[in-house]
Amino acid sequence: MASNSALESTIDKILKNTEHDILTNIKTGLDESQQSLDDAIPKLESEYDKIISDGKKEADKIEKQITGSSDIEVRNKQLMVLEEAVDKVFSVALDQIANADRSGDYSNLIKTLIEEATKILGTSDISIFTNAKDKDAVQSALSQFSGAELLSETIDCLGGIKVKSKDGAMTFDNTIDARIERLKPLIRKEIAAKFGVGN
Amino acid sequence: MTAEGGVQYSKIAEIKGPLVVVDDVENAAFDELVEIETTEGERRLGKVLEVGNGKAIVQVFEGTTGLSISGTNAKFVGKVMEMPVSKEVLGRVFDGLGRPKDGLPDPIADKFVDINGEPMNPEQREYPKDFIQTGVSVIDGLMTLVRGQKLPIFSGSGMSHNLLAAQIARQASVVGKQDDFAVVFAAIGVQYSEAEYFRRSLEESGALKRSVLFLNTADDPAIERIITPRVALTVAEYLAFELGMHVLVVITDMTNYAEALREISAAREEVPGRKGYPGYLYTDLSTLYERAGKLNGRKGSVTQVPILSMPSDDITHPIPDLTGYITEGQIVVGRDLFRQGVYPPINILSSLSRLMKDGIGEGSTRDDHSEVSNQVYDAYSRSQEVRALAGIVGKAGLTEIDLKYLELGDTFEKEFLTQATDENRTIEETLTLMWKIVSKLPKNEITKIKDKHVEKYYQEE
Repeated sequence: MASNSALESTIDKILKNTEHDILTNIKTGLDESQQSLDDAIPKLESEYDKIISDGKKEADKIEKQITGSSDIEVRNKQLMVLEEAVDKVFSVALDQIANADRSGDYSNLIKTLIEEATKILGTSDISIFTNAKDKDAVQSALSQFSGAELLSETIDCLGGIKVKSKDGAMTFDNTIDARIERLKPLIRKEIAAKFGVGN
Repeated sequence: MTAEGGVQYSKIAEIKGPLVVVDDVENAAFDELVEIETTEGERRLGKVLEVGNGKAIVQVFEGTTGLSISGTNAKFVGKVMEMPVSKEVLGRVFDGLGRPKDGLPDPIADKFVDINGEPMNPEQREYPKDFIQTGVSVIDGLMTLVRGQKLPIFSGSGMSHNLLAAQIARQASVVGKQDDFAVVFAAIGVQYSEAEYFRRSLEESGALKRSVLFLNTADDPAIERIITPRVALTVAEYLAFELGMHVLVVITDMTNYAEALREISAAREEVPGRKGYPGYLYTDLSTLYERAGKLNGRKGSVTQVPILSMPSDDITHPIPDLTGYITEGQIVVGRDLFRQGVYPPINILSSLSRLMKDGIGEGSTRDDHSEVSNQVYDAYSRSQEVRALAGIVGKAGLTEIDLKYLELGDTFEKEFLTQATDENRTIEETLTLMWKIVSKLPKNEITKIKDKHVEKYYQEE
């Protein structure tokens, strides 16, 4: 029986050692996994922060895209509407100018236009073109410009004159159409201001 | 602007390349705008280059193809070329001469401004010192752009400079301030697909509403290219100095501009300078680049990023050479990095922003920025030497510290330099990445950064 008790004591010892080893291993494993978890927390937090910040960036980007393109679309439509309105004002104004009364100060205007043209061309040896409505006014002003002649050929314009030097080298367009065309950007601005756009 | 018009002349003496010589002209002025009318009634714009002896030499922007001596008229308009400007130009697309290209009407102008601009009074110039964030790490971290600076990008044909230009235009911003920011983008002689890419890229990112685009495509007349940067800069100056906005002007490609200048110079039979470019190329370029800056007492600024492709990647070519004399540094796009597939392929060792030191640090970016940037430059330079050495003796022949530098070089190119075309990195992210690069080295190798910064930002393995 003595051998049995020695055997049992050996078995107990082995069991205790094994139990201790297992418990130690479990504790080490627990510590290691605790450590891994602790280590993972900052990584996880930084990963979490990165995902949130990337998400915010993406959301900002999309928001900018949506608001940007809708702003542009609205602005473009506004521009088209404004342009349409400006064009309407222009066409009404041009109609009124074309049908304006040719009496009174109109002959003075024609005289000024011829004076301006001779000054710019540097010669009074000129041929003048005008439309059918202004022929009389131009003809009566010609007496004050020696060397100037009115051509029978008429031009299509709202009013005013087109002047050519007699050698044909220089032309100066002083019709009302040309003057309006030159001032068109400023007139557009004035009309737009009436609609409450711009300064 | 007056109602008085100009005189139209019908005696055309000669048509030579992009030039028209008009005879018997009186009272024409240098730089005066000229309207050329063809026999078919088509109108083209030009400007007076020379006057004298009753002749005027007119440079026709839209080219002289189809013009004949008889039947062509030249009308001298009596004013220089002007650009209509107002806040409404933002969000618009124009052609190289400043005419709408987006199907919308002409903008309602607040002012008409001479496209040649007015020289800035040197006494009134304010020293540039405020940071502009481009969202591109290599630029923000190592060659920082500051407001009012002119910092060109030197590239080569076929490389990704236009992608980079579009990315800068989309992402650029003034950090931490509520100031208005705008981008003026001038494309000179680019392909149609590239012009479309610029337009679409700004439109899709929502950046178009704060941008103005001037697109001169490769099939537009070369002579128009002389005007494109001038109209773009005129708009930029208006937005900056009249409306108080911070304006970034991106101009690509200045080489096409210089070639147009050479074409005119050859047609005028001027004595050619280096590579056939006119002797006044430097002066001409400076009239564009010097339009960048800030003025005392004015809120806005004009910052320029001109892009030029160096013929045969030759940095000694007259265009990059003369540009380098005028501008404040350069960003060089490297062929080797491009071939490796790195984007943006910027060769930092040849690149430099001369005004960077004034735009970074505490209050602008971060107090450690300057030091960490110097350390990254130094370490990357050393890594390149080690790479060359490894090519001869092999990796096995390298010391442990050499291997660290080799690893640092790879990390720099893969993680810091490489960036997606739609990736917008904040300056904080950029600096964190720079510390990641520096932290590849042992602490005793970090010689350019104060200990307190090393303690604070060094990233232990």
